[in-house]
Amino acid sequence: MVPEAHVTEETPNRPVWLTALSLSVVAFLCLPILIVVPMSFSSAQSLQFPPPGLSLRWFEKLFTDHWWLNAGINSLVLASAASTLALLLGTLAAYALVRGGVFGRRILEANFVAPMIVPPIITALALFFLCAKYDMLGTFTGLVLAHTVLVVPYVILLMSVAIQSFDERIEQVALTLGATKLRMLTRILLPNLLPSAFASWLFAFVISFDEVVVTLFLSGTYLTIPKKMFSELIIQINPTITAVATVLIVFSLLIAVAAALMMRRGGLLQRRREAVA
Amino acid sequence: MTSRQALVGNARSSAGKARRWALSFVNLPFVLPLLILILLAFDWPLLQALSWSLREPKTHAFTFQQYVEFFDSRIYIAIIWRTFVIAGIVTGVTALLAYPLALWLTRLRARWQVIAICGVVVPFWVSILVRTYAWIVILGNGGIVNRWLLDLALVQKPVSFLYNEFGVTLGMVNVLLPFLVLPLYAAMLKVDRRLLAVAQTLGARDHTVFWKVFFPVTVPALVASMILVFILALGFYVTPAILGGGKVPMVANMMDLMINRFHRWEMAATVAIMLLLVTLAFYGLYQWFRRRM
Repeated sequence: MVPEAHVTEETPNRPVWLTALSLSVVAFLCLPILIVVPMSFSSAQSLQFPPPGLSLRWFEKLFTDHWWLNAGINSLVLASAASTLALLLGTLAAYALVRGGVFGRRILEANFVAPMIVPPIITALALFFLCAKYDMLGTFTGLVLAHTVLVVPYVILLMSVAIQSFDERIEQVALTLGATKLRMLTRILLPNLLPSAFASWLFAFVISFDEVVVTLFLSGTYLTIPKKMFSELIIQINPTITAVATVLIVFSLLIAVAAALMMRRGGLLQRRREAVA
Repeated sequence: MTSRQALVGNARSSAGKARRWALSFVNLPFVLPLLILILLAFDWPLLQALSWSLREPKTHAFTFQQYVEFFDSRIYIAIIWRTFVIAGIVTGVTALLAYPLALWLTRLRARWQVIAICGVVVPFWVSILVRTYAWIVILGNGGIVNRWLLDLALVQKPVSFLYNEFGVTLGMVNVLLPFLVLPLYAAMLKVDRRLLAVAQTLGARDHTVFWKVFFPVTVPALVASMILVFILALGFYVTPAILGGGKVPMVANMMDLMINRFHRWEMAATVAIMLLLVTLAFYGLYQWFRRRM
């Protein structure tokens, strides 16, 4: 159509004030990262910017500190366990929610996604009561179950999209050709969902790794990186934290890139299928 | 229609019903594991919190006394009022900054759009603790800005940017901005460009096209996302704890104090239930606006 072509060709209207304001807002968003990373390489004890000299002393301090290392291992183990459990349970549930065949689909979905909407402090408090009652405060099991509940909504949302974009007729063809349901799921559906599943796992992993509030309430003496960071921030400012922050930034960005690549691969598979059809 | 046909029809539909009824369970085994987990580790604890809020601390008898205290006490009402005010200001400021940014993003060329969106998404992805901590580095009493001000002799003693309402608001706006920018951007991309072209053809000036055509179409998305940001702001714990330095407690911090310092579990449960009710009410409103998008 002619009018559409006309509009898209028109140069969009970007007044100077709009550009200036928008750039400042983006700068405001990125400022924390842009400041923290160079500061972590500072040789100074105080918060001088720009840093008077470069040094790796804060990283050295971090990686030789028994408490931080311990917290790091705990965080990795906890986030791996919770995101794996969430991926398993969440993918199964997402399949039924998308393909139907469950009673009260809407209510179930609302219930599964609720932990994302209910303020974490409320979940923290409720789980605190429960864990206190059954003597599970400070236990690994309690933390894993709590984190699984918190990250499962993200798995459900991402995997629902992935399952929806997989053509149901392919499943039906497999079943018609005599495959059992289990065989169809493991041999047909699962291989196609792998990239999206890995992306969901990474997403869940980061959310669990960064979780603060529920962990603070349930962890007892169990130390995680966010918990240690939070308690240090409340007491005083220690330049080691800038090194921790930089490690966390790099870590989450690497995971984000991996997740984006995986999601793209999931999407690519889908496009190729469409081309075949 | 003869009675025979009607009979056959009835039989068919009842068989269909029975089949559909049976079919509505075939995939039940898939949801069951998660359902059990959520029932045990989410629904049941929330119900427990409700029962804690309705129990007398010593005798455990049924009582409304916590709720009476909640509405009678000045402290609770004051902190809840402050939470609402801060959440409201944060939502307003976030909207004022997010709307122009989202608009600007839609008007950028494709390649710059990707780069600028990275500038919004990357901070969103980085731990909230890291971003909150950075403000101490930048604006704290011994932070970068105060060092500059002191070095340039513009001030005699450090300016307290943080550990007050300003610090908390700043930190929260920083964390919540992407929650508004990204949905607004998506909604703006969906606006039918032909609508704007029609208005232009009919002689409307840019200003009029924006305020009379474009803006009204994006209002439902703006309001829905603002409600979501408001809900998130109401439950904030980390930012007020760190950037408020204990001087600007919000509801979540109050709940923490009641559990960990005053050991008033019943009262903390009551506040949690009240916050949950408010959150659910606003969430209902959010869904209502989203359906209008």
